[in-house]
Amino acid sequence: VSPKPLSYEQLLGIFACLALALVAHIGSLPVWVLVTAAVSGGIRLLLARRDHAAPPRGVRLVIAGLAIGLLFLQFRTFNGLSAGTALLALMAGLKLLETDRQRDIYVITLIIYFVGMSALLEGDSFWLLAYLIGVCWLTTATLLRVTTTLPITDWQRSLRYAGRILSQALPLALVFWLLFPRFAGPLWQTPDDGRSAGSGLSDTMSPGDITELALSDDVAFRVRFETAAPPPQERYWRGPVMHDFDGHTWRRGYPVSMGPPALQPQGRAYRYTLSLEPHEHNWIFALDWPSHWDLPRGVLTTDYTLVQPDPVSRPIDVGATSYTRVQWPEPLGNLSRRKDTAPPNRNPRTVQLAHTLRAAHSDDMEYVRAVLGMFAQQQFYYTLRPPKLADNSVDSFLFDTKRGFCGHYASAFAALMRAAGIPAHVVTGYQGGTFNRFANYWILRQSDAHAWDEVWIDGRGWLRIDPTSAIAPERVEHDLSDAASADEPLSSRWQRRTPWLADARLRLDALRELWRERILLFDQDSQQKLLEWLRIPEPDGQKLVILLTVALTLVLCWLTWAVRREVDPARKEPLIRAYSRLCAKLTAAGIPRLPH
Amino acid sequence: VSTLRQAATDKLRAWAARRHGRDSLPIKINRRRIYILPTRFGVMLALTLVAMLIAGLNYNSNLGLAFAFLMVSVALVTMHHCNRNLLGLQVDVATEVDAFAGREASFEFVLQNDSDVDRRDVEIRCMSASGIRSVPARSSESVPVAVPVLRRGVTRFVQFELRTRYPFGWFHAWTYVQGSLIAYVAPSPHGSRELPAAGGLGSVSPSETRGDEDFAGLRAYEAGVPLKHMAWKVLARGGEAAVRSYSSLAAQPEWLEWSSLEGQDTETRLSQLCLWVLESEAAQRLYGLRIPGREIAPARGAAHRFACLRALAAYGIGEPR
Repeated sequence: VSPKPLSYEQLLGIFACLALALVAHIGSLPVWVLVTAAVSGGIRLLLARRDHAAPPRGVRLVIAGLAIGLLFLQFRTFNGLSAGTALLALMAGLKLLETDRQRDIYVITLIIYFVGMSALLEGDSFWLLAYLIGVCWLTTATLLRVTTTLPITDWQRSLRYAGRILSQALPLALVFWLLFPRFAGPLWQTPDDGRSAGSGLSDTMSPGDITELALSDDVAFRVRFETAAPPPQERYWRGPVMHDFDGHTWRRGYPVSMGPPALQPQGRAYRYTLSLEPHEHNWIFALDWPSHWDLPRGVLTTDYTLVQPDPVSRPIDVGATSYTRVQWPEPLGNLSRRKDTAPPNRNPRTVQLAHTLRAAHSDDMEYVRAVLGMFAQQQFYYTLRPPKLADNSVDSFLFDTKRGFCGHYASAFAALMRAAGIPAHVVTGYQGGTFNRFANYWILRQSDAHAWDEVWIDGRGWLRIDPTSAIAPERVEHDLSDAASADEPLSSRWQRRTPWLADARLRLDALRELWRERILLFDQDSQQKLLEWLRIPEPDGQKLVILLTVALTLVLCWLTWAVRREVDPARKEPLIRAYSRLCAKLTAAGIPRLPH
Repeated sequence: VSTLRQAATDKLRAWAARRHGRDSLPIKINRRRIYILPTRFGVMLALTLVAMLIAGLNYNSNLGLAFAFLMVSVALVTMHHCNRNLLGLQVDVATEVDAFAGREASFEFVLQNDSDVDRRDVEIRCMSASGIRSVPARSSESVPVAVPVLRRGVTRFVQFELRTRYPFGWFHAWTYVQGSLIAYVAPSPHGSRELPAAGGLGSVSPSETRGDEDFAGLRAYEAGVPLKHMAWKVLARGGEAAVRSYSSLAAQPEWLEWSSLEGQDTETRLSQLCLWVLESEAAQRLYGLRIPGREIAPARGAAHRFACLRALAAYGIGEPR
């Protein structure tokens, strides 16, 4: 290592690379870490600009000690992705502060590479990968300029050389990536990385607090049916079920560890693969009613929601079979009945209304129809911008505002059922979906989130009632969105009006799905399929390693050849080669090439 | 650790010398003689890559793994590029160089690059001295390497080293060349005696001996010749730079005699003679050297000067084969 001092330009280059790598972490790292890194780099740059050396050792040590202490106070650990990345980012920033020699730059480039990779552990988009490879390219070019003893004058040249090395590395990287054996689970558990902020549904529902339902177009999951898809009125994807109602908010209630009640499937079975996006909750949105699933640790709760022990924090694929029509051979358990007939607290007018209606309709089904008829005939409106409801949310909705979305209707309906002694609960999940005809799968977006009810009718079992669909179509407020009744998925109005835009979007989503399927979820199974595709009998891990070795040897041979070919003086440009061939032919034809 | 490392390097040098035998210069560096190892920075990189791989596997992140594998591959490609930076280079060295005891023997290495790629940061190392140059595609560069020499005599360097850390400084590729570099280390030029007069007629200062009237012919230009003696017309006609030569008193041969320095020890005498050789050459005189066992007929010019210095260097030691 030559003790050559660093120039301002070199410092600027490495600082820019570090900043670009940290940009990928905005949102996942504490802001003060990023700010500290940026500020210490900036200070060093200012000093270098004025030809000062790095600040004295004592100052640096104090700053480093403070920052790392603060970091530990925040994370309580340095293990785990966020804490580790934060520590590295901080170290890189502080290292920049003390950068005086090439050696320090070396360390910073290594940190940049690592920080870049750790961003990919959290993110999963193609663009992030492309961006970080770009950062890696730039860093490598900067490294080239820093490490050469004799300066390279133009940036273009170093970028071109670094790019050349990267492109020669691609085939090798591909072989590694395809054939390096994957493990089934993590090597060791890392602490929760603070990614608990889930998306989509939650385990409570209080429609009264929401004054504007933002419809997000984020994909919740995708479904590929092996058989024909069920009709829209049967495409209900079950999420958490709400039992506890305090008059304002619905909650899941304590899990009942009884196992699900028995049911008899009827009609045809639907086999499908659910491709779930991470949502940080432990439920899996199976089609009602799930009967089989290939999720080793997946179980059904008493209320028939498919759950797994850990939250879904990575994209997963779940194959499952469901029946949309079932029979309930056993009567409702006492505990469940008691839970689902708990009166709707704090809503006296609702209870009053229920009693009045119940007096007129003693049969359970008739009572249900009467309530739905009330929603259809009275001036109830469907809107995504409902007024805020008072504490007694059902009273407030049914008698005062009469405007709401699926949550309002499901909540009010269940309350009316319970007040009449009919077991009822609210089911949240997704409904409908958009078919992607370009790649033959269904997309369910956050805007397809839905809430409906289930009531227990003696002799028939749990019956799905979707009170939102009872609202007359003319009372759906079109000016807010093209949101229609629950039978139709809510999607943005632009796409409905411009079909080609919708098509382009579907195609884009098909690409995204391909990326997810082929790249993000590449695992042992995929490797096995790859070996089968290569006609290797009885594929296993050992054969994979052998194949990896063989492929690596071949690619390395190619690499050696490709790299050495460039210094072979016998190598000629294609034009010159063609010219000498022409000369040889002419000579053969009796026209020798003249000495000049 | 450094002594251990030194020992390992010495072993390797000896082994390489046995393996490749003596090389005749110029030599083209082939792939069999290029060795490569990661530098300390390269080892740090390797550790980082291992950490990246473990993180990628632990989080089951295919994108993280893709990035880590890309970096691993970049390191492997870089290894090939580092190796290539020396591959096919042709190296030669001019050994006829001045060397005086206590100063340096300044060898001129010539690196020739016949390929279409630039060779950057190629270092030539001989003993503790080194020179570093970049050789652009299809060109050659000379690399001066000043090796310190302490004692008068014939110093032979049997091995020199070409090395490079280009690109990125992750790897260190090197090769040993067993070309013998011989430095005739002349005695350090000093002494108190004045230059003996030409033909034994006593000391005459050079300026007086240079009469314009005694033009004797042309000789090749050498640095340090007074401008008024330049043959400008020859130069203007497109000929080589030449200097008019004059037959004057200086044309009388002058003998630099060992025997004239009676009563001094060997090295002092040699130093004095060395100084005289340099002075006589600078003064454009005809001079001869007479030391025990060797007599060099009067002449002048670079080759003559070099022959005299070489005789002084080898005095009492014998010419190497």
